Amino acid sequence: MKSLLVSLGTTVLLVLAPFLVGGYETNVLMIILFFVILAVGLDLVSGYCGQFSFATGSFYGLGAYTAAIMSRDLGTSIWIHLPAGALVAGLFGLLLGMPALRLKGHFLAIVTIAFQTIVYLVISQWTSFTGGQVGLTLSNPGPVRLFGMTLFELGSLRSYYWLTLAMTVICLTVAWRLVHSRLGREWIAIRDDETLAAAVGINTTRGKLTAFIASAALAGVAGVITAHALRGVTPNDFMIWTSATVVAMVVIGGRGTFIGPIIGAVLLATLPELLGRFAEYKLLIYGMLLVIAVTLFPDGLAGLWQARRVTR
Amino acid sequence: MSASILEAKGISRRFGGVVAVAEVSLSVGKGQIVGLIGPNGSGKSTMVNLVTGELAPDSGSFLFNGSDITAEPSYRRARLGMARSFQLLRLFHSLSVEENLLLANYMRMSSSLAASILGRRSATGEEFRARQRARELLAWFDLQAFADRPVSALSIGQQRMVEIARGLMSEPALFVLDEPAAGLSPPNVDRLIQLVRRLRDEFGISILLVEHVMRVVQDLCDHVVVLDSGRKIAEGTPDTVVKDSVVVEAYIGTGWRRRAKA
Repeated sequence: MKSLLVSLGTTVLLVLAPFLVGGYETNVLMIILFFVILAVGLDLVSGYCGQFSFATGSFYGLGAYTAAIMSRDLGTSIWIHLPAGALVAGLFGLLLGMPALRLKGHFLAIVTIAFQTIVYLVISQWTSFTGGQVGLTLSNPGPVRLFGMTLFELGSLRSYYWLTLAMTVICLTVAWRLVHSRLGREWIAIRDDETLAAAVGINTTRGKLTAFIASAALAGVAGVITAHALRGVTPNDFMIWTSATVVAMVVIGGRGTFIGPIIGAVLLATLPELLGRFAEYKLLIYGMLLVIAVTLFPDGLAGLWQARRVTR
Repeated sequence: MSASILEAKGISRRFGGVVAVAEVSLSVGKGQIVGLIGPNGSGKSTMVNLVTGELAPDSGSFLFNGSDITAEPSYRRARLGMARSFQLLRLFHSLSVEENLLLANYMRMSSSLAASILGRRSATGEEFRARQRARELLAWFDLQAFADRPVSALSIGQQRMVEIARGLMSEPALFVLDEPAAGLSPPNVDRLIQLVRRLRDEFGISILLVEHVMRVVQDLCDHVVVLDSGRKIAEGTPDTVVKDSVVVEAYIGTGWRRRAKA
């Protein structure tokens, strides 16, 4: 009940935010929300199901490029791109999930890095299809229509901010339902003890693949919104650094908790804004924070909080 | 047609050059408690893992309730009605005692995963009933006070009871107990013996019991199979088996003399 009130209060505050702060801050908030979706999505597969993945950036990119390429070639709108981006990223998530059935730990991590690298190479080198290093631009979509009625003009920063916020709420609701369903419990069971999970009748293959698909699909949705909100895509936004940043967010915030990745995403996405001219060292700082987190509080900030509550 | 719940026919399994199990056949009749005994390294654990599907045999076949399950992975065997406990306790450590039991019942639920994700009444109702069933079982084991506690809050003896409760939650026809008396104090061993008998008499579950503690085997088993170096060296009633000279030799026999000379 308390957590419901807190999340409602936060949502109302975030809805009103563009009236309270300037355009720059609204833009920062929007970027934080992208990372919130990415981090919560990664937590499904890495935190709950225990399968390492350094490929979030590639699914993010697959979603973004799906939107950009469909917009260019088919002239479709964001409402088509959202399910399409989730579908494309989810299918590739399934593809990456296949080796995960046979590999564990470091070996799986290496395969996900390879996958991330391949996706980056394809989107940065297949110039005729993806625009290469320059990327693609999306034109201003104009009015958003539903059944012939103009709902609102999509184009201003605020409209994209609200769209991002709405999609974040939807994505978090989906993730919450997944985690608290039987499927989510099965993911935890697979993480805790795969042999035992199978011995009590859990289809571990299905469990792992669904975790990969759900995680990738959420990243794909984040990619579609990003492509539209930034009016374009460039391959450099979807490099391994993006994946590593999201991993740092999840680990520092707290793996296998719902609030942890949200805290991690807010902290690490805000940090560069506070660093000013030192912002170019952000990856160095993320790295150090990651090492500190793993050695001093492996359950993340959310884990620290929970441990405090238990001991009291 | 067949009166056996489980039949193993000529099961062999090797690891590299080591033959862990060689041509072992055994059968567990419906309502029977069958013991599987043997000295350390005789292949008992490998045999259990072959029966439950964690390992695949190199040759031989398994029949469960008359149908061939040799190619079925372990989660499918669980769904067909095979539960197991582990020699070294295995529980889901980040989940509560009750949730550990619930997970074993998921495969018996008829509502879809999608219904569970959407929070549909078909799923929530079924999950609620499973929760009640778990509470009942925990009360039966006198563990109801621990339902919401993490499993690490329990003693080893209690954790073993949770393992058995978990097995019951999956509504099995055959329960494979892998050294359930290991690490238990003598009074707890007595409780275990009574409990295993009740599993058969009250729940109608057939049992394959792997055990080191001879008292447990002699008190409970209708039939005993003895393994040594991966081979079946004897079988029969507990009384005849303990008097069998080959069995005595395998347990205390000539091995220690050879080792002493070396």
